[in-house]
Parts: sequence; structure tokens; C-alpha cells
Amino acid sequence: MASSLSPPEEASYHHRHSKRYSSSSSSTNGVAVESVPDFVKRPKISLPNYISPSEIESEFSHHDPAFTRINNGSFGCCPSSILARQRDWQLRFLRQPDRFFFEQLKPKLSESRSVIKRLINAEHDEEVSIVDNATTAAAIVLQQTAWAFREGKYDKGDAVVMLHYAFGSVKKSVEAYVTRSGGHVIEVQLPFPVISADEIIDQFRIGLEAGKANGRRVRLALIDHVTSMPSVVIPIKELVKICRREGVDQVFVDAAHGIGCVDVDMKEIGADFYTSNLHKWFFAPPSVAFLYCRKSSSGARDLHHPVVSDAYGNGLAVESSWVGTRDYSAQLVVPSILEFVNRFEGGIDGIKKRNHESVVEMGQMLVKSWGTQFGCPPEMCASMIMVGLPVCFGVSSDSDVSKLRTFLRERFRIEIPTYFRPPADGEIDPITGYVRISFQVYNKPEDYHRLRDVINGLVRDGFRCTSLSG
Amino acid sequence: MEADERRNGDPSNHNHRAPKKPRLAGLITESDIRSEFAHHQTGIARINNGSFGCCPGSVLEAQREWQLRFLRQPDEFYFDGLRRGLLASRTVISDLINADDVDEVSLVDNATTAAAIVLQKVGRCFSQGTYKKDDTVVMFHCAFQSVKKSIQAYVSRVGGSTVEVRLPFPVNSNEEIISVFRQGLEKGRANGRTIRLAIIDHITSMPCVLMPVRELVQICREEGVEQVFVDAAHAIGSVKVDVKDIGADYYVSNLHKWFFCPPSIAFFYCKKRSSESDVHHPVVSHEFGNGLPIESAWIGTRDYSSQLLVPSVMEFVNRFEGGIEGIMIRNHDEAVRMGLMLANAWGTNLGSPPDMCVGMVMIGLPSKLCVESDEDATNLRSYLRVHYSVEVPVYFLGLRDGEEGVKDKESGLITAYVRISHQVYNKQEDYERLRDAITELVKDQITCQNLPAV
Repeated sequence: MASSLSPPEEASYHHRHSKRYSSSSSSTNGVAVESVPDFVKRPKISLPNYISPSEIESEFSHHDPAFTRINNGSFGCCPSSILARQRDWQLRFLRQPDRFFFEQLKPKLSESRSVIKRLINAEHDEEVSIVDNATTAAAIVLQQTAWAFREGKYDKGDAVVMLHYAFGSVKKSVEAYVTRSGGHVIEVQLPFPVISADEIIDQFRIGLEAGKANGRRVRLALIDHVTSMPSVVIPIKELVKICRREGVDQVFVDAAHGIGCVDVDMKEIGADFYTSNLHKWFFAPPSVAFLYCRKSSSGARDLHHPVVSDAYGNGLAVESSWVGTRDYSAQLVVPSILEFVNRFEGGIDGIKKRNHESVVEMGQMLVKSWGTQFGCPPEMCASMIMVGLPVCFGVSSDSDVSKLRTFLRERFRIEIPTYFRPPADGEIDPITGYVRISFQVYNKPEDYHRLRDVINGLVRDGFRCTSLSG
Repeated sequence: MEADERRNGDPSNHNHRAPKKPRLAGLITESDIRSEFAHHQTGIARINNGSFGCCPGSVLEAQREWQLRFLRQPDEFYFDGLRRGLLASRTVISDLINADDVDEVSLVDNATTAAAIVLQKVGRCFSQGTYKKDDTVVMFHCAFQSVKKSIQAYVSRVGGSTVEVRLPFPVNSNEEIISVFRQGLEKGRANGRTIRLAIIDHITSMPCVLMPVRELVQICREEGVEQVFVDAAHAIGSVKVDVKDIGADYYVSNLHKWFFCPPSIAFFYCKKRSSESDVHHPVVSHEFGNGLPIESAWIGTRDYSSQLLVPSVMEFVNRFEGGIEGIMIRNHDEAVRMGLMLANAWGTNLGSPPDMCVGMVMIGLPSKLCVESDEDATNLRSYLRVHYSVEVPVYFLGLRDGEEGVKDKESGLITAYVRISHQVYNKQEDYERLRDAITELVKDQITCQNLPAV
């Protein structure tokens, strides 16, 4: 693929020829990335053999070619070389399960944990537990909170503060564990569209104040690193600092969209608990996530996996490594994933950077074409961005956007999540519908051109959401 | 022996479903079976199906197809295919186990998860004061270790007390078990306490015995035990399972042990009751409150493929004469036959009579091996794995003061048992290899005390 002949908008995605001359020594999350001196960067000299575009296509050839897949955020992706390694692990168990269990499982899970620990800049191995997903991690942390309420460590009515845009499952978990054991839940309303990080910080402060009203304590702040819907990158470092200043007992960061999407440095972020899925943006097969628990945090020793096995009482990391007979293969491929991402220039940091630049570029193209706007400034997004839909669609409810999503999938084979933003009083011609576009290494400009053209076609045809049935 | 006697461990069970008529043309052959399990490591005597089960190649193939469907277009699969696939599995199971309603059947990872669900609920009742402090949970002392830890984590922590019933072993009749269980219930009720939960294994793990579960549940009802949870990890594919007949409130069985599913999947049956059941999956998702089957059907993004394979497994077992029932009968008969062969060769005994065995049998090890601790048993197991390529779990029977114990033909006390399993891929040579290995160890005067390091 001759890069000099490709249209300008494709230059960003051409990994082999992307900007080598920019510094590659920025924050690396503890993974060493070689910094190639300028004088070496002449095309004629043989350079590291980075993955080629056709190799990338091949790695994701199992994706349905009929679909325009611009929703990496929901279910992630997994390259075929990792799937092959996963099958190896599954086979090892099936061949001789007893031997595998007695000799290999625990040390190999430890290896995976070590890799993650280095990636996220945690201090100790035992601070890293591997679980199925962020939903499981939330249950673990919130169960600990529930015990504290039930056993009188916390007073009934003490507060748990969370964002209004917290993931639906997490909200239910808070209800099941916190509300049911006597905790008081405060939801921080965030503006959307959002103009700046300050808006979020201000609202959060207000939420903490409400939590502390009437002599209560705020026992837990549950903050998303990247909200799911609508998707915005939250100024997490700042919020954690505020929590510390205001005497919040524990801070739990839900970073389902963390690793491979934003910078994930446990020491810098400073939270007590931090969870992220690896199968969303870190190329793991479903499913594997880590839950980081700072050793010095209060309550760290009272964390337990809810599925209690004979490993109970040996620390969360050990408990999580045996929750009964299961397929642990997704957790065992983590070291192989590092090999995969390091085939890309700049490793995972290079991927993050290019994903961000590309999603912003594609988003801008859509905004311009549809005459709408972003849901947040580009610097408050990572590899996903909210793009307003044309006002003429007349989006007026959650049901509208749900039907629209199905319509786009079934009629046009476009996979994209949609969001309804209720209009505020006094707004004139507000944008009430948004799509959340994702960009991952398998995406191409054509994907977004297609979306652009389909939406424009609908506009031309006078499409209204009210015309959708079901 | 009558096939009926093995059903639910109760000879009077009349719920006999005639084995399916074999399709004469399509019966699976020996070489088909070898091919289905070609991924098993060759050269070892794999006689421990009870621990981790097995999965035939054709089911693994079906699993890959499901996995691929998700990977191809995950959103579409999530919104459309997943729920239907899970319901199909649940429906097959519901019919198989004679549940009243498919809503009584949830799919979870394994019995360990189901135990957590039940015990969390019990724990909440203690916390809320619905149960009084020191009200009891009764279980057998040989309950699976994970279940015991779960009781510690959720019940003991909030003031519940436990009563452990010691399973007599070796055991000679159901009456022995029933008798000690009654005593255990009395203990549980002592001092005005209420027994809130009885946990009964359908088939204990170690030592392995088929329990008279129907009888035990009935006694629980007679004696006012509030809830009964049957941990039947080994049951489905081992014995006929009729949950209505057994009559428990909760019943769980793993499908990856004896029902040819890949790891991991279990069905968890919760008898429908008029009041709110308050059982919840501990991993809470947006489905919280929609009933356990729906809660369990979505606990975040995961690989649910093993839970989608039940219809494929039915296709597999129906290639065998008599379907799953035929497999169960043959596994039992072969395991007993091999067990007797070993007991004769070693001059020892079976841990329970044939009608209290399933596709697993406990056989006493020669006293000359001098197994004197759990550690000895573990070391012996490792030694057999490494030096004889035999995979078989070893159980150390710690005798208590006053217990007489059983002697072998050398008049030594039998302190350890092996648990052999028989599944469709096993052959007589597997057990002969174990027989010869033990015989050789005894001949060479190897004991657990002088066992060379592995």
C-alpha cells in the first residue's frame, strides 16, 4: 500500500508510515519503549518490522465483513493471534486437567498479574487481582462497603457518592449492596454536552458537600474514568485529590474503558481501588479485567471475591485466581497480548495516541457534514467521541434512539450506540440525539464515511424517528 | 442390580423414564469415541473424570462456533442470539430434571457459585434479624471445602452456627447415613435453635458416596428444617435427577463433570415459592431484580459459550445406546467391575456397596503403603502421576478415637482410598495400570514415608 498515493485523511492510519519523527518516549505506563534517535529515522535504513495494514486486516478477518463496526467501546475486539493462543491454553487444560491445575494454573496466572502490575505501575503483585470484568470488580468493592455498614463500621446514612452517568450495572450493584445495607447514595449530575473539565469538578464538589450534610461521612466515591453513555473522559486525578482533601474514606475508579484507552497509572491516579476491562481496549478475548487495590487502603484486607472457594482468606488476588472449575484461558493470554501490541509502533501508547487522533478526525468530519457538534471538547475524549445527530431526526426519547440503533443495524449493517440527551428548558433546536463512535486499529475512514453518508441519506429522505416501528 | 435403585439413591423411585431407543444406524463406534477424545493426553491412565470432567471434540467444535458468532458481531449476538441460546439450554435442562417451570432453572458457572448465592441469602437473613443468632446450618463434614468456606464467609460471620454431621466411611447402607443425619438435626435444634438450612450432597466428593438424598430431604421436612440445599456437583450425567421427587428448595449440578460440557456450566434449580425468594447473583448487573435466571444470564461481558452447548451435548449423548441413561448405567457397571477387580488384587475393600456408587468408586489402598496424613495422600497421588502416568485422587481416612476401621488381607488398617472414575473414554487398561502400579509399590516395599521425591 503506497502511502504517498493515499488520500490525506488516510495518512493517520497508515501505521508503517506514521510520524516516526515525533517523540516516542512519552509516558509509557511502565513499559519500556525504545526511543529511536532522529538520525536513524531515514526510510532507507531497515527499521523495526511493524505490523502492516494487511496483517491487521488478517488479524481481524473474523469480524463480520458485512458490518460497519464502529462500536469497539461496547464489546472490544480480539486479534486472531491472541485467539489462537487462547485455544492453546484451553487445550492444555482439556488434555490433562489435573496436571494443569496442580502445576500450571497458579504460576501462569501470577505471570499475567505481574504483566498487568507493570503496565499499570502498581507497587505490589498482591495489589492486582484478575477478575472477569468491571461488573465483578464492582461487586467485590461494594460488598466490602456493605459489610462495613452491616457491621457498624459505617453509620447508617453515611454516603456513597457516584456519578449520575455511572454504568447501569454499577448503579444496580450500589442498590443491591449499599442501599440495602443502609448506605445513602448521592448521584452527581454532570452536564452534557460538557464544555470543560471544570464543569465536572464543580458538580463533583457539590455532590461531596451533599454527602457530608447533616454530619454524615462520605465513605466511598465511585467515579468513572471514562463514562460509558454519554462518553466523556473524567478529570480523575483532580477528583481523587478533592476526595482526599474532603476526607472521603475510599475512592473506587470504574475504568471499564481504561487500559488501552487512557493512561492508567495507579500511583499517579492515587485511588484506593481501580478496575479496568482488558477485553475492551486491550485486545483480550472475553473476558478479563483487573481490580487494583492499594495495599495501604483501609478495607483492602476485607475485600473478598463473592464466589467463595477454598482459597478464601488468602487475599483477594489468590481468591480470584480460584473460583471453582472454570475456563481461565482469557486470563492466561495476557502476556501474549503484550507481544501483540508491541508489534505496533509505540506499543499500546502509540495505539492509544493514534486511536485518539483518528476518532477526533473522523468525528470532526461527521460534525462538519451533519452540521452538529461534539458532546465534549476533543481533549476530553480518548478513543470514543459523542457526535450529535441531525436535529431534523426529531429524537425525543430513549426509545427513539434505541429503535434508531436497531434500524441502523438491521437496514444498513452499521453498529453504533446511540444516546438520547433530553432537551433543557429554554433550549432552541437542541441536539437531542448522539452517536458514540469508537476507533480501534481495525477501523478505516470508509467506516465513518459510510455512517456519514447513510445519515445524510436519511436526512435527504426526510427521515424522522417517529417513523420507526417497534 | 436394578437400574431403578440408582435413581436418586432410592429404590422406591417410580419415576422411570425408559431409555431412548437406539438409532441402530447411527450409534457411536469405539473409533468415533477415540476420535472425540483425541485431545486427551495419550499414555496416561485418566481415571479421574470426577474432578474436572471431559468434553468431546464435537461439542468443542460447537463451542467455537458460538464463540465466533460473538467475535464476528458482538452487539448483534448480545441483542439477539445470546438470550435465545441460553433459554434453549435452560429448557433442555428443565425437561431433563423434571422441573415444573423453566423459570426455576438458572445457569451459573459452577456449584461453588450456587453455594455463594444460597449462603449470601442466608447471611442476609441473619444480618436483618430474620434469623436469630446461633440458628444453625447443618451439613456433612465431608462437604466440599469451598462450601465450608462459603459458610464461614456468609453465615458464621453474621452469627450463624454450624453443625457438621460425620459421614460414616466406609459405609454399608443408607440407614447408617440416615441415622447420623437425624442425630445431626437434633444437635442443630438443641437449645431452642432453628435449623435454617441443611446442605446435603447428592454424591459426596471425597470420600465419594451416593447419598439417600430423597430420604434425607424428607427427614428435613419432617423435622422442620427451613430450607434444603442439595449440592449435586457430580449428579447430572451420573444419576437420574428428578428435582420434584427429591423435593429440595435448591439443587445445583455441574454440567462440565459428567455431562460433557466444557468448563464451566452448572444448572441451579430454585423451587418456585409463593413468597419472594431473595436469591440474587452476587455479580450484580442491570438485570438485578428480574429473577435469578435473568440475572445469571448477564453478569457483564463474558464468554457464555459453555452455557449455550446443552442442545449440542444432547445430540452427542443420543449417539450412544440408551442416551445419557445408557451412559450412566454403563459407567456405573464398569466402575464397580473395575473397583472389585482392584479390591481383589490388593486385598482391600470398596468404600461403599455398589448401589451406593455411581460412575465413581472408592477402593481401599493396601495398608502397607502407610498413608498416614493428607500430605501423604497428596504425595502418593503426585508419585502415581509422574512415575506411572496414572491420574487418580487419593483420600486419607483419618480415623477418630474409638473408630475401629477396616483391615485389609494383611490385617493392616486401611487408611487411604483411591477414587476411580469411569467415563466413556476409559478402558480396562487404565485400571490395570493403576492396579499394577500399586502392586509394584507394595512389592518394592515403598511406603509414603520412603516415597522418593517427585
